[in-house]
Amino acid sequence: MIVMKRLSVWLAIAGVGFAGWVLTGANQKDPMPPPILEPPRSPYEQTVAASGIIEAVNENVRIAPPVAGLITKVFVKVGDQVAEQAPLFQLDDRELHAQLLTREAAIPPLQAQIEEQKYKVGDLETQFKRLRSVYDERAVSEDDLQRTWYALEMAKRGAQRIQATLKQAMAQRDEVTILLDRLTVRAPRRGTILQVNIRAGEYAQLGSAEPLMLLGETEQLQIRADIDEVNAPLVVPQAGGTASVRSLADQKIPLTFVRIEPYVIPKKSLTGDNTERVDTRVLQVIYRFKRPSFPIYAGQQVDVFLERRTSTASGQEVPPSSPTEEEPS
Amino acid sequence: MNYVALKMLFGDRAKYLMLLCGLSFAVMLIVQQGSIFWGLMMWSQASITNVNVPIWVTDPGIAQVDEVKPIADTAVDRVRSIDGVEWAVPLYKGLLRARLPNGEYHQVTLTGLESATLIGRPAEVLEGRFEDIRQPDAVVLDQWAVERMGGPTVVTVGTIFELNDKLARIVAIAKTQKSFTNIPVVYTTYERAIHYVPRERRTLSYVLAKAKDEIPVEDVIRRIQSQTGLGAFTAEGFGMKTIVWVLKNTGIGINFGTTILLGFIVGMAIAGQTFYLFTVENLRQFGALKAMGTSTLTLARMIILQAFTVGLTGYGVGVGLATLFGFLAAHGGNLPFAETWQLLLLVLVALLAICIVSASVSIIKLVRLEPGIVFR
Repeated sequence: MIVMKRLSVWLAIAGVGFAGWVLTGANQKDPMPPPILEPPRSPYEQTVAASGIIEAVNENVRIAPPVAGLITKVFVKVGDQVAEQAPLFQLDDRELHAQLLTREAAIPPLQAQIEEQKYKVGDLETQFKRLRSVYDERAVSEDDLQRTWYALEMAKRGAQRIQATLKQAMAQRDEVTILLDRLTVRAPRRGTILQVNIRAGEYAQLGSAEPLMLLGETEQLQIRADIDEVNAPLVVPQAGGTASVRSLADQKIPLTFVRIEPYVIPKKSLTGDNTERVDTRVLQVIYRFKRPSFPIYAGQQVDVFLERRTSTASGQEVPPSSPTEEEPS
Repeated sequence: MNYVALKMLFGDRAKYLMLLCGLSFAVMLIVQQGSIFWGLMMWSQASITNVNVPIWVTDPGIAQVDEVKPIADTAVDRVRSIDGVEWAVPLYKGLLRARLPNGEYHQVTLTGLESATLIGRPAEVLEGRFEDIRQPDAVVLDQWAVERMGGPTVVTVGTIFELNDKLARIVAIAKTQKSFTNIPVVYTTYERAIHYVPRERRTLSYVLAKAKDEIPVEDVIRRIQSQTGLGAFTAEGFGMKTIVWVLKNTGIGINFGTTILLGFIVGMAIAGQTFYLFTVENLRQFGALKAMGTSTLTLARMIILQAFTVGLTGYGVGVGLATLFGFLAAHGGNLPFAETWQLLLLVLVALLAICIVSASVSIIKLVRLEPGIVFR
């Protein structure tokens, strides 16, 4: 063939071949790099996804002081298990201690007065008895007898008055004791100290934004799932769900329904920034779960997938919650 | 007769070379300009190709990938709730100012990837480890950011700079496709991106998602659109949307369009004209053949054979030269050059059309040819 003898033809074939080679090499789309960790995937056919936070079953207690005051001693540290009524921290009590001293000092004089009055009453009683036993009207006048009787009754009333004053003094002492006791802040219930934000020497303010201490029950945890209000109608009460901790998406934690919070609240942005950044409102659903084999902590964020039953899938609409409400639990 | 035709074509070396050169350069011009144009378009959607995920979800009113309209954070969960979505993760994307240790300011694109999975990260890393992005204050730069900010002597792994007055430390350099605007890209985790940027009411830029394997992407996209009211796009669709936006709103479309069109017209005109001249110069030979009794049909077949032979040869050489140019000049990714088979096919069809047109003009001339011309 004459065509094959020409260099230009070979050049042309080479050019097309080269272009083809470059094209197949260059226009290949790189596959997506695999995710470093598995992204959370729904285990259900139809699902409602939510983001949740792990929290103590009983809501955390933000310990507050009864009065503003200087903190003299902190009895617990973070992570301590405390019993009910265990002392947590001590406010400055020197002023009340001083008051207690005066109050206590007021009691012995009164007690002495009571003793004194006893003798007075005894003395008058014997006098009165003696005067009454004399039958001669000339020896003891009616007037004397009357006077002595009045004096005796006065002395008895005096004794009662001093008794009352003593009781009052004791009550005043007890008041100070109770006020003193109040300055030792105690745990309102059993739990773990989750946060301690005070040191001895600091001044405890009333109503500060940050709690002085955070007390919670970390043995039993629950998950609070935030669902966008748009998806709220899709949530079926009693439906199961799974949660996965961020970074452990393949370890699914099965969830048991507890309740739906009846009030839809503005969503808090979990960015660590505590200034308000409300963008939408969320329905909150509470779920219980068994502790998984890996460690899990209160306050951790989780990805939640809730099961969603649909009318098209099951054929019949499941009336929400009514069948389960009837059975005694 | 074919042999005679080819012998005529190749016989006059100088004429043949001239013809071939004209065609080759015309083809090369069109292919090269077209490829550069398409390369630029690819650069304009680099943000999408670099992230490399199948589905993008954002505000339905979005015009193009770099014009971010933030949506509510819960959109991630809403997309996850759609049937057929295998996974969905958030992506932050926004412009921010970076201040280098030497005092220079640069505008950068901050890209916040979901911290656990790092979906949307570049596949290749030139220096360092991408996973180190999870360290405190860590960011990853792309190679173009290094180039833009003053080269490896100014920014390298370990360099500390300021992002919106907050500390950022480079832990890796990633390899990405260069973008049209060539704004340096800084990668970090989604949470830290929020921490870097000034406060806004809404922060989520995109939800990146993937459809389950057995479900078509288009179905999932339709479901996301109808059930969430958000805008959902395939990566390809979003890329095209961006390209269309660039063509409509910048001068590139007009500029390159005219250049390519001119290249096309000039190239094709040269090709047609050269071939026509070639026929005219060979009229005497054709006349002799006609005088010997060759039918006009055979002569027409000869001319078409010649036209196609020289056309295809010129096409091959031209395509080879253009590819070689692209291969050498654009190898490092510094020049936009994206040759596609669609472009090559288009040029081939156009070239063959031109060959047929110029051949038919020659054939018309041949039909009218008086065999007696040979003896004049």
